[in-house]
Amino acid sequence: MNTRRCHGPRNSQEGVNLGPAQTQSPLIQLQDPQLTVPSLRPPAPLVDISNMSVKDRTNEFQSVCRSLQGRQNGVQSSKPALSAIRQHSDFNLLAKSIGKDLSNTFAKLEKLTILAKRKSLFDDNAVEIEELTYIVKQDINCLNKQIAQLQGLVRARQSQNGIHLQTHSSTIVVSLQSKLASMSNDFKSVLEVRSANLKEQKSRIDPFSQAPASSFHIHTSNFSNSLLMQDDSKKTAEVSIDFRASQQLQLINKQDSYIQSRADTMQNIETTIVELGSIFQQLAHMVKEQEETAEVREKWEDDRETEIIKLLVEMLCP
Amino acid sequence: MAASVREKQAAALKRMLNFNAPPLKNTAAEPVWKVLIYDRFGQDIISPLLAVKELRDMGITLHLLLHSDRDPIPDVPAIYFVMPTEENIDRICQDLRNQLYESYYLNFISAISRSKLEDIASAALSANAVTQVTKVFDQYLNFITLEDDMFILCNQNKELISYHAINKPDIMDTEMEAIMDTIVDSLFCFFVTLGAVPIIRCPRGNAAEMVAVKLDKKLRENLRDARNSLFTGDNMGAGQFSFQRPLFVLADRNLDLATPLHHTWTYQALIHDVLDFHLNRVSMDESVGSEASPSGARPKKKNKKSYDLTAADKFWQKHKGSPFPEVAESVQEELDTYRAQEDEVKRLKSIMGLEGEDEGAISSISMSDNTAKLTSAVSSLPELLEKKRLIDLHTNVATAVLDHIKSRKLDVYFEYEEKLMSKSTLDKSLLDIISDPDAGTPEDKMRLFLIFYITALQAPSETDLDQYKKALLETGCDLSSLNYIKQWKAFTKIAATPSNYGNSGVKPMGLFSRVMNSGSQFVMEGVKHLVLKQHNLPVTRILDNLMEMKSNPETDDYRYFDPKMLRGSESSTPRNKNPFQEAIVFVVGGGNYIEYQNLVDYTKAKPGKRVLYGCSELFNAGQFIKQLSSLGQK
Repeated sequence: MNTRRCHGPRNSQEGVNLGPAQTQSPLIQLQDPQLTVPSLRPPAPLVDISNMSVKDRTNEFQSVCRSLQGRQNGVQSSKPALSAIRQHSDFNLLAKSIGKDLSNTFAKLEKLTILAKRKSLFDDNAVEIEELTYIVKQDINCLNKQIAQLQGLVRARQSQNGIHLQTHSSTIVVSLQSKLASMSNDFKSVLEVRSANLKEQKSRIDPFSQAPASSFHIHTSNFSNSLLMQDDSKKTAEVSIDFRASQQLQLINKQDSYIQSRADTMQNIETTIVELGSIFQQLAHMVKEQEETAEVREKWEDDRETEIIKLLVEMLCP
Repeated sequence: MAASVREKQAAALKRMLNFNAPPLKNTAAEPVWKVLIYDRFGQDIISPLLAVKELRDMGITLHLLLHSDRDPIPDVPAIYFVMPTEENIDRICQDLRNQLYESYYLNFISAISRSKLEDIASAALSANAVTQVTKVFDQYLNFITLEDDMFILCNQNKELISYHAINKPDIMDTEMEAIMDTIVDSLFCFFVTLGAVPIIRCPRGNAAEMVAVKLDKKLRENLRDARNSLFTGDNMGAGQFSFQRPLFVLADRNLDLATPLHHTWTYQALIHDVLDFHLNRVSMDESVGSEASPSGARPKKKNKKSYDLTAADKFWQKHKGSPFPEVAESVQEELDTYRAQEDEVKRLKSIMGLEGEDEGAISSISMSDNTAKLTSAVSSLPELLEKKRLIDLHTNVATAVLDHIKSRKLDVYFEYEEKLMSKSTLDKSLLDIISDPDAGTPEDKMRLFLIFYITALQAPSETDLDQYKKALLETGCDLSSLNYIKQWKAFTKIAATPSNYGNSGVKPMGLFSRVMNSGSQFVMEGVKHLVLKQHNLPVTRILDNLMEMKSNPETDDYRYFDPKMLRGSESSTPRNKNPFQEAIVFVVGGGNYIEYQNLVDYTKAKPGKRVLYGCSELFNAGQFIKQLSSLGQK
């Protein structure tokens, strides 16, 4: 039988905790043999040492509930269990799915970042990078549309929702928008890194496009000065000149296609950056709308993010 | 070095906001949205530590007061952070019955009692919401951290544990017990969060001793309880505090009443003294409209502006302990640097604009250079914005402080009081300053006179006293606080020892006509540029003696408690002979920023040592005089 403990004078003053603090009471719990749930401390995670500074009373609470329930068995409450209000849940579902997509896209972006940072000439997964870039771009566009849709939902419900629900929903929308904005920002910087690397690669290859001619030239001159027959030198020189020429042509062709593909990539990057600019613009627009609809001003105010996004837009699309 | 108490408390809060699991660094994780419900105690604890933006980053969409009208938000978990009072429990039960949220994570700032837990349980049962109450935790966070190394006990209802409440002559035992329990509860939470069991030293025969005894008992009980101890030593070992345990010095306000009345010269303490500074937030009136008011006009409309002075504000962190003239100079320097950077960005912008029109220019500069320049300009924008905001903030605050200094001639008071407190020769008579109509408010004069009275070796003669009293009354002072000080002096013997306030005083650097060249906003005309020399206030001196194990008649008699020792001993001989590396000083009865700053300066001079400062409440001189006056009227 659980006994109720009195804890000194009950304080009726507003909001002051002057009663003696109760730090632990597993004793009562032990009296009931059916409830042999020892009060476990939450397992200390490896990283966080200070976990010990709180006490988990959940098990105690649950055991109290069980024992009270046992006492009240005859008197069952007729109140039904909580039923979710259906109206709100589609907002929630959409928000959750956007959140999931965001984290997926973020993972892809991380992969892209690693690939783009590679500077070697030979291990260049140009195709993979291109694909991934394309996918991420599509994802960002898609997310942008979804968030706009979400915002539309919020605005449509504005009249019905209580102010708290409205603030809650609009805060979710703003937070998703800012996550998307920061991800787009990261994406943009990855693209910049990529284009810088491409440029660097190009500058490293350029000297070699002239070099073969000179090196062959040296070769032939050496050849002509060698022990080989002086008579054949002219012939061989001709042959070698032809050979040299064809070599050069081949190289030039290869280079051309290489340069061409590089130029294409650069162009893609440029267009992507411009598109990102327009996304930023849309985001800033949405955020502005958000400001207009949000009525509740909290005590701590911080809309620096909005300002920054607007300024970013200004700078990107003058 | 171990994390500061601010970091620890902030980390504990963040963990709580993450449903009591350690927060993940992974930004790619799916966002989980929640609602935070707190009471005023919780609000006071959270607001100096976490900004709204940080709350948002952790997924908190709404933060609401417990006792407010709240709409149901059915799909969302709610995190509660409240004190386990009767009222709050009732409201939580009501929330459960009204089925406001999807799930409830109840976090109590200090431990909840068994009976109240049962109340919630029965409410949950009747609302059929037991499964929704997902977690119940005792957070042990019942204190407010204002700085990395400073904390206070509470802000709500602080008059219940104020100096006045503790020292009033008609106090009943039960009241005293209740006050002590409140203080000890908070201190216990503090040590739990810090993760250390200290060695306690306290003087004899006052409130500080009572607190020490109770705290020792509470820590001891907790350590003995094998199943539930919050201080399992092994977990604390790894780099929490150094190998040594910290020293906890309990001091009583009554040992030093002059410091709370003192006029000060460092930035943070000045702000606290002359402006409305509360929980790291300054509130000021900002007058709107032109300076010249037309004759017969309505008074200018004043807006109240408030600024948060936070840990992220680098200027503040650097200069909060600096003497005021240095602050003024530094603000000017910051402004100049900012203007240079702003010009740079503007130049860049104009170049960008130009290139958009001129085709030839584009081809000459490659795309990536453009992007790089653009990126760097863009990324420096938020920094610049922030810098501008901070410079504006400090300009406004410093200007307001300077206005007070000039109109009340606070530099004169400061210098004079320093001389009084250090027993240097006085160049002006006290009577002159008191009767000077230009210098200071009646309260300033009262403060000066009280300091004189407190630090005087012998009480002034009756005739002198009457003369002073007359002068004070003429300027409109209220003399009831003097009554109390007389009584106080009568029962504390400490007042008899004059060398309390250190021997080195203030060196005036001469008058400045202008601190900086023209264009500066801080014209310190006629204001003395005073330089502080380090001297130890009484509290600092006591700490020094105890921390360095120095022998001194003042502290030799202090009691010694070690909660980890098997048997509590009554002896006051410390078993530890080595100097301490970490210490916490707590003043029962209230403290202020002057003492805090003094401790900070003391610690700076001793590398490798760490000192934390705490007090039961934080008051400025004005608030303290009010308490003294009401005590003097009894």
